[in-house]
Amino acid sequence: MSSPKRIGKIKFGLLSPKEYRKMSVTKVITADTYDDDGFPIEMGLMDPRLGVIDPGLRCKTCAQRAGECPGHFGHIELAAPVIHVGFAKIIRKILRATCRRCGHLLLDEIQKHEFLLKMHELKDKNYSTDEIVKNVIKEARKSTTCPYCAEQQKEIKYEKPTRYVEDSHKLMPADIRDRFERIPDGDIELLGLDATNVRPEWMILTVLPVPPVTTRPSITLENGQRSEDDLTHKLVDIIRINQRFQENREAGAPQLIIEDLWELLQYHVTTFLDNEVSGVPPARHRSGRPLKTLSQRLKGKDGRFRGSLSGKRVNFSARTVISPDPNLSVNEVGVPETIAREMTVPIIVTPRNVGELKEYIERGPLNHPGANYIKRLDGRRVKITEKSGAEIAETLENGWVVERQLKDGDIVLFNRQPSLHRMSIMAHRVKVMPFKTFRLNPAVCPPYNADFDGDEMNLHVPQTEEARAEARILMQVEENILSPRFGGPIIGGIHDHISGLFLLTQKGTKFTKNEVYELLKKCDVEKPLPEPAVVEGGVSYYSGKQVFSQILPERLNLTLKAKKCVMHGVCLKTDCEIDAYVKIDAGNLICGIIDEKSIGAFSGAILDGIIREYTDTGFQEASRFLDNATKLAIRSIMTFGFSFGIDDEDVSPQAQLEIEEIIEKAEERVGALINAYEVGELESMPGRTLNETLEMKIMQELGRARDKAGEIAGKNLGFAGELALDNSAVVMAVSGARGSMLNLTQMAGSVGQQSVRGERIRRGYYDRTLPHFRKGDLGADARGFVRSSYKKGLTPTEFFFHAIGGREGLVDTAVRTSQSGYLQRRLINALQDLEVEYDGTVRAGDKVVQFVYGEDGIDPTKSDYGKSVNVHRIAQSVIEKRENG
Amino acid sequence: MINRQAISKSYFTRDKIAQHHINSFDDFVERGLQKIIDEQAVIETDVPGLLVKLGRIRVDTPKVREADGSLEELYPTEARLRNITYAAPIFLEMTLIQGEIEKEPEEVEVGLMPIMVGSKACNVSKLSDSQMVKLGEDPADPGGYFIVSGSERVIITLEDLAPNKIFAEYDERYGGRIEVAKVFSQRRGYKALVMVERGRDSVLEVTFPSVSGRINYVMLIRALGLVTDQDVVQSVSNDPEIIKFMLENIEEAEDFTQDEGESLDELHQKIQEAAMKKLGEKVAAGQATEYQAKRSNYVVDRYLLPHLNDPLLSEEETRLIKAHFLGRMAEACFKLALHKRGEDDKDHYANKRLKLAGDLMEDLFRVSFSRLTRDIKYQLERADMRNRELNVLTAVRADVLTERLTHPLATGNWVGGRTGVSQLLDRTDYMAMLSHLRRVISPLSRAQPHFEARDLHPTQWGRICPSETPEGPNCGLVKNFAQQVELSTALEDETTVLSALEELGYTPIGHELVSEVNIND
Repeated sequence: MSSPKRIGKIKFGLLSPKEYRKMSVTKVITADTYDDDGFPIEMGLMDPRLGVIDPGLRCKTCAQRAGECPGHFGHIELAAPVIHVGFAKIIRKILRATCRRCGHLLLDEIQKHEFLLKMHELKDKNYSTDEIVKNVIKEARKSTTCPYCAEQQKEIKYEKPTRYVEDSHKLMPADIRDRFERIPDGDIELLGLDATNVRPEWMILTVLPVPPVTTRPSITLENGQRSEDDLTHKLVDIIRINQRFQENREAGAPQLIIEDLWELLQYHVTTFLDNEVSGVPPARHRSGRPLKTLSQRLKGKDGRFRGSLSGKRVNFSARTVISPDPNLSVNEVGVPETIAREMTVPIIVTPRNVGELKEYIERGPLNHPGANYIKRLDGRRVKITEKSGAEIAETLENGWVVERQLKDGDIVLFNRQPSLHRMSIMAHRVKVMPFKTFRLNPAVCPPYNADFDGDEMNLHVPQTEEARAEARILMQVEENILSPRFGGPIIGGIHDHISGLFLLTQKGTKFTKNEVYELLKKCDVEKPLPEPAVVEGGVSYYSGKQVFSQILPERLNLTLKAKKCVMHGVCLKTDCEIDAYVKIDAGNLICGIIDEKSIGAFSGAILDGIIREYTDTGFQEASRFLDNATKLAIRSIMTFGFSFGIDDEDVSPQAQLEIEEIIEKAEERVGALINAYEVGELESMPGRTLNETLEMKIMQELGRARDKAGEIAGKNLGFAGELALDNSAVVMAVSGARGSMLNLTQMAGSVGQQSVRGERIRRGYYDRTLPHFRKGDLGADARGFVRSSYKKGLTPTEFFFHAIGGREGLVDTAVRTSQSGYLQRRLINALQDLEVEYDGTVRAGDKVVQFVYGEDGIDPTKSDYGKSVNVHRIAQSVIEKRENG
Repeated sequence: MINRQAISKSYFTRDKIAQHHINSFDDFVERGLQKIIDEQAVIETDVPGLLVKLGRIRVDTPKVREADGSLEELYPTEARLRNITYAAPIFLEMTLIQGEIEKEPEEVEVGLMPIMVGSKACNVSKLSDSQMVKLGEDPADPGGYFIVSGSERVIITLEDLAPNKIFAEYDERYGGRIEVAKVFSQRRGYKALVMVERGRDSVLEVTFPSVSGRINYVMLIRALGLVTDQDVVQSVSNDPEIIKFMLENIEEAEDFTQDEGESLDELHQKIQEAAMKKLGEKVAAGQATEYQAKRSNYVVDRYLLPHLNDPLLSEEETRLIKAHFLGRMAEACFKLALHKRGEDDKDHYANKRLKLAGDLMEDLFRVSFSRLTRDIKYQLERADMRNRELNVLTAVRADVLTERLTHPLATGNWVGGRTGVSQLLDRTDYMAMLSHLRRVISPLSRAQPHFEARDLHPTQWGRICPSETPEGPNCGLVKNFAQQVELSTALEDETTVLSALEELGYTPIGHELVSEVNIND
């Protein structure tokens, strides 16, 4: 294998006919490809010197085999020059800007000098000179006589795609070429071309390079027939016409025929280069399918750039459905054994590992931690089979490479699309498991934005030691707990984790020693159990807070306000009536209830605290805590039991009546508003029309009514005041695990106003939404107010309005995802080259974009929710230290 | 409480779930086919005196030609299992006329028509449940789809903006808001967008196909035969405010004076001819005057509001009707400008029309049949050149039509470049099939947001299911019929409607003044 080479520089320019001939290995003169025996014809399109595609043969130019030989260019000598369509527009510009006799740019020396100066100035600054070139050509076109030879200039008309007409006289490519040859080198720069690498006459082809056969391989069909590539077909056409042209000209055919053939040659060369030029009928295959020629290979979604280079597919990757497993560490990923057997890690045999590797080989490819291939020193790859395993293991030598199957502890990259931020690809450790899905700890769902409704994820196995080290150090999940977006944790408990710990750490829970062990069984706890909180009837009980404290690191000190904190007046701190003041002292939860604020993703203060407290081992401590917390939470919620049913939305008949009444009153008020509007007593609010005012007031009124109904329903379900923890919906809403007050309101109180684009439902039949209402009815029910609750059930019209509102949401998500994807793509394209250098500057290439990263030099990951220092925290710790002596 | 179950039960015992497709297809086979044949009526050739007269068209029941040459009845299950097309031979009565000699009419097989399962032409439709079971057919299958080479293809119902209806809306031009009245005028598969817009200074301008740019309204109306200022103004409205606008238009237009010794009729003729000439200058700029005159007449009769063309009426009458229709459009513009009406709601279901299997097959058959006639013409001319005995039987190559009917059905690539018209019937489960048969798609692009079109519109109540629509890019554009929807078919014969209107005091448009017409306001 040849070693990779470093690209020193890239030069853009045109190739001269001389260069075409120099790089060519043969002239191609016959349109035939293979002779009757199936051998390629010399100087034909499949000349063996152009490269090999048949296995077993050797290239006549470089003596390499198929697959190694890169192929070599040939060339066709065109009987007459033809225009390269890709340059048709530039040719037009140059024709118009230069003299028809002497080839000079139609500007006097002073003008030329001025433009050149401006041009150099811009070039020095690395700016585009397109604007100047445009002006040069605009100015040059203005002059009717050449300032150098005084020749009268004529108007040149351009007809798509390759016809230039001067004074109703067609310019042949040969004429144009002659003119271009006369253009002095000095004028070329002003035309926007690179004078050192481009001569304008090279835009008109006299020699056509023939691409190597490797770029246009023919395929052999089942019946032994050869089928040629589209490019070969096109080249055959070109050679045929070229030959006919030459013969006709030599035979002295009339000018008319010559011109026809010339045009035909032009057509074939044009379609060879680009088969989608407007104004040219595309060249077609016998079946009527347009040919895919050079330009089509590169262009578009499935072209070489977007399809083959940016969209490359990789080996050593796997994809399957994901499912949750709270017993895994956040750093782990469960890999199905079937996948683990397919995917391999290359290991070099050394005296230290030879024994272990032999075992893998002996087990073969079918018994799990086995091996699939070995690579010998001579580069030969040998497949290990059930039978050959023992034999290969015998002969194993140092320096060989064994492709060992994936096993527990291997580091792999795990990814979910769309990959919108760097946490979309993180490194996990493999845990080989039965069944067919990837398993992951639900706590890592937030960074991937994954759920388990059928999501699939990809897994990649790094193949080199460097890649594995990089993955382990930079990409492992625990390294990415803190988000570079806002400096807080984006990994944390979700759903049942939060509900579970919320139930566990509430006031008044008590567990016997056995129960505590049961809860903490799977956790990695080092602390000894503390003194039991209560002793009743000789039995000692531990509180839920004590159980939770077992998994907290010892050095952790933290205070925060729980989600249910209502901020009434002066904070009572540890004496908080509703247990909303969370205080952790030396790894003990003194008071307060654990909820979303403490362990939730995006907000978890405990994780944040651990990482900041343990400056060196913070990430490990944090992930250990996360693993323990998720396990404890799941076990805790299972001991408590947690379910939700229709009767959890029941409200008392009394409350029912109250809700009815509130809504009725609101509707009355809406009626009054409409009345006032109709009578003309409604006053418009500043900056709004009367209609808008009415709509706003009605919306407000109905919104208030729903909130009030929700309050009553909430109170009835035990949302406010003393918590009713037997209501799961309330537990979830209060702890922040899932759902909100609004959801409760809609279930038990009233669904409320349905809206489309922020307004009440207005469209429909003439002057009314539905025929169920009177024309001109502006009332609440006629414009999409749903007074029923989900529990109670909706009336048909309410149901329909609800469907209208629901549809809008559906459309919105569908439209938004595509739009945000596009926005993201544009941002990435614009910012991808920015880099933070070691000196702290942000640069794109050699240009400085920011002198200090972010203009404050702060790494947001290490910041405190975006701020460089949290003065409050420092002050707090100092005060506490002083208080404690 | 009403017993809703009873309602549902009675509904489902009466009609099949795919009845809309079947009715539409039956209508096509029974009436649509003959209509297309009658439009064509004769096939003319370049050979003098040689032509073919077309008579009645008849569709047989699905048959299959076996390897031994025998013709046998085909049933859907067999078609599915043997991967053949469930199609019936079409017979057309053709009479060859050579100069004076008219041959005996012959019934010729012109091709195979794919038959909708469960339609009247389908072999299954005449069978009882037990007979169906015996033949291996499923009595619970709703039908409504075709079988092409063994695969089941559904023609998806297309939802389109109602043709021949005036839509008033705002548009942007000259950096300001203008009022436009649009009509998609449709006749025999040809669709032409005609627009009347109120531009600067209330000047009305008209746009229609084959004419580039905009044409002055008054000039066009005059060319159409409404000549006097009074007629022009009153054909638009009697509303004084609108008359004021119209007077401004008249002011802008060319002035004519009665010459010495010229009768009024002569003056009117002069005005009309002058307008026509101006129109000619617009439609065929830079051409010879004679050609301009020919072209302007052709354009007016052909491309301007083609739906008003009535073969029973004379050209002058038709043009007058067109002029009055333009008057309605102008009125809509002015009313919108004066806030006497609002913008038309394009998503209102009254403004939608559904194209069902029958309508789409009609489009397809019209194009395919014209291809066949061209082929017949070519075959006849060739036979004539070689001095063979002319015979319609040999001139008709049935495969031409068959291929052109089955291929679009098999691929979904319809005439007019529409794709995805026919889809492979979703047989994931019974419900998926039912849903697929009752699907309606909107031709709007799914790449653009189109928020309004995707919304659930209250007029869809009882017609379109409020819940069933896909999530994602097709949301709200792909819809499904509501359970109890019933589709009404366009009336072929409008005489009953006209007589009913006459009873209500309608008088046909003539030269006399027309008072304001209010429809659906």
